[in-house]
Amino acid sequence: MKKIVITFILMFIAIPAYALDGQQLLVQIDRNLNPESYEMYRKIINVEPDGKKKEYTLFSVKKGVDKIAALFLAPASEKGRSTLRLGDNMWLYIPNVGKPIRITSLQSVIGGVFNNADILNLDYAAEYNVEKVDESGNEYLLYLKAKTKSVAYDKVKMWADKSRKVPSKIECLTEGNMLIKTLYFKDIKDLEGGIVRPSVIDTDSPLYKDYKSIMIFAKIKKRDYKDEVFTLTFMPNIDSLR
Amino acid sequence: MKKNILFLIILSMFVSSTTLAKDEKGEKEEYKLDLSEIEKKPYHLGGFGEFRPVLSGLDKSAAFYKINFYNRNEGRTLTDYNFRMQFDGSYEEGIARVFTRINYDLANTYQGWSNDTTIYEGYLSLKPSNSLAIEVGKKTLKWGKGYAWNPVAFLDRPKDPNDPELALEGFWVASADFIKSFSGPLKTLSFTSVFLPVIYNDINTDFGGKNQLFGTFGNSASPVSPGNQINGAGKLYLLLYDTDIDFIVFSGGSKTTRYGVDFSRNISTNFEIHGEFAHFEDFQQIYIDSRGNIHSSTYDTQSYLLGLRYLTERDTTYILEYYHNGTGFTKGQEQDFFSFVDQSYNTYLATGQDSFLAKAQKLAQSGYGNPNFMRDYLYLRVSQKEPFDILYFTPAFTTIWNLKDYSVSLAPELLSTGITNLELRLKGIFPMGNGYTEFAEKPYNYRIEFRARYYF
Repeated sequence: MKKIVITFILMFIAIPAYALDGQQLLVQIDRNLNPESYEMYRKIINVEPDGKKKEYTLFSVKKGVDKIAALFLAPASEKGRSTLRLGDNMWLYIPNVGKPIRITSLQSVIGGVFNNADILNLDYAAEYNVEKVDESGNEYLLYLKAKTKSVAYDKVKMWADKSRKVPSKIECLTEGNMLIKTLYFKDIKDLEGGIVRPSVIDTDSPLYKDYKSIMIFAKIKKRDYKDEVFTLTFMPNIDSLR
Repeated sequence: MKKNILFLIILSMFVSSTTLAKDEKGEKEEYKLDLSEIEKKPYHLGGFGEFRPVLSGLDKSAAFYKINFYNRNEGRTLTDYNFRMQFDGSYEEGIARVFTRINYDLANTYQGWSNDTTIYEGYLSLKPSNSLAIEVGKKTLKWGKGYAWNPVAFLDRPKDPNDPELALEGFWVASADFIKSFSGPLKTLSFTSVFLPVIYNDINTDFGGKNQLFGTFGNSASPVSPGNQINGAGKLYLLLYDTDIDFIVFSGGSKTTRYGVDFSRNISTNFEIHGEFAHFEDFQQIYIDSRGNIHSSTYDTQSYLLGLRYLTERDTTYILEYYHNGTGFTKGQEQDFFSFVDQSYNTYLATGQDSFLAKAQKLAQSGYGNPNFMRDYLYLRVSQKEPFDILYFTPAFTTIWNLKDYSVSLAPELLSTGITNLELRLKGIFPMGNGYTEFAEKPYNYRIEFRARYYF
């Protein structure tokens, strides 16, 4: 009888110790992808069914959970354009036009499979709640639900490596479970500054059959910025942060 | 012959969006980002070169044809060849940066060859901190949230609603921006103060200069006080409850005092709304009656704009704007002007005397010839990204309705960006309406232009 009581007590103590906190896991995945505040260089390549490519090089800065800005460094036709995101608000600055104009998350400033929400992506934990976590082999499967209607994808399924706690695949879905796009995280590398993470995100979409877009990460460095950097007035000056 | 050229242009745009683009095809899938590609240099040089031939089908019964061509016979069509080079350059050292944008135009029109070099922008920028920026030199400010019109852009030249994204020439100013960020409903506050001097015949003369016979209208100058003047403006920007809001005030010797407010907000992930409101104190309007007498009236007036931008699931973008131009002409004033032009033309035909037409020409240059010189307009632009799976190809259709005289401008457009750094655009403009209306009195029945622009 004493053994049974001890077993019950141990079970009640042990279960909380092993229960997986999905939200905490998501925060950890976010931190393994990027520091909360950083500077980053990326290249985005749109690949068409015939193999034709268009390449864009971007410098991005992020602060906290809801502030991110990106500056186009190439090609020449896009150079100097910058985008800013503050929470659900997004703007595009085109040097010729001269003033920032509001853009929406489902548009794409570069065309291809990546939309503005993908290019100016915030932490997953900032935009999604974890509804459920499944474990299978060496992977977690996180079921994410958007916190608000203004998030670009209503549902997200995220497969993450158990040991490294970084995503390997993400499916972006509508409220009715229609697949919008799939992101494949590949080629884990040390991106300087102690960040070891997938250096390539490959994506395809049933909405863009036979097209794909690739995001390549070169340098991610932890860096802190003043809030004033993430304002419309500062958009023409983002290059001064490099 | 011209039809064949047009066909070749359209064909070349499709080809550039599809076949030729294969030049960039990679033989092997290798994705890398070399550090040399992201190395920062203290200087930047760039820009574009452009070739833009324009074919116009002349409307010999239109008022603006009579004003411009009364003593010429140009046949049924006119062809212009326009070349443009625009250079951007900057150099950065510490907190200082100098920037310049120089525009060179070379044109062959019915008047022969002409060329013009203009410094669009050229200024020194100092950023002692991320919260403060001071700029001195020639620059465009581009205030306002509207796409086709900006009634609150008190310090800018009016943009062309047919091509609102074109770079414009700035004015010589000294400005300071102060920015502060917060947490809470008010996320950003910034204040911009601008000092704009007018030194007659030297600096900013066309902002509002001496001896201007007729003021220009809308957002441009009116000859309130001639000579050297000092002007100042301030803009308070707030990002409050996820809404961009600007409060603007302008006062000075070159124009009457004016106040403005604008806003912009994302309603959802694919839907944006914006608006502007401007109040003009003592606005002076100069107009002509049908007998050619010049009148002037001074009054307080308001201009405003409401607009939206909507993206559908099929990647169709709608931009819709309603614009009330309180500084514009009434329908009666418009008809008086066109009637005066007709009478002046008849006088010229009967007597050979063109002094009345010269007067009409001057009025056209200073107000009646401005784009959208009347009171109420509706603008709709519909663009479709990559229809029928034709990559980097965007057809668009723009209409501008004059809600007072019911004339309309229809502008279909094809844009191809299939080859990196090369942009090809074919655009037509078809003005329509009854006699004595804004668009019907344009000098052409149709205008077709092709623009090839290469960025470097």
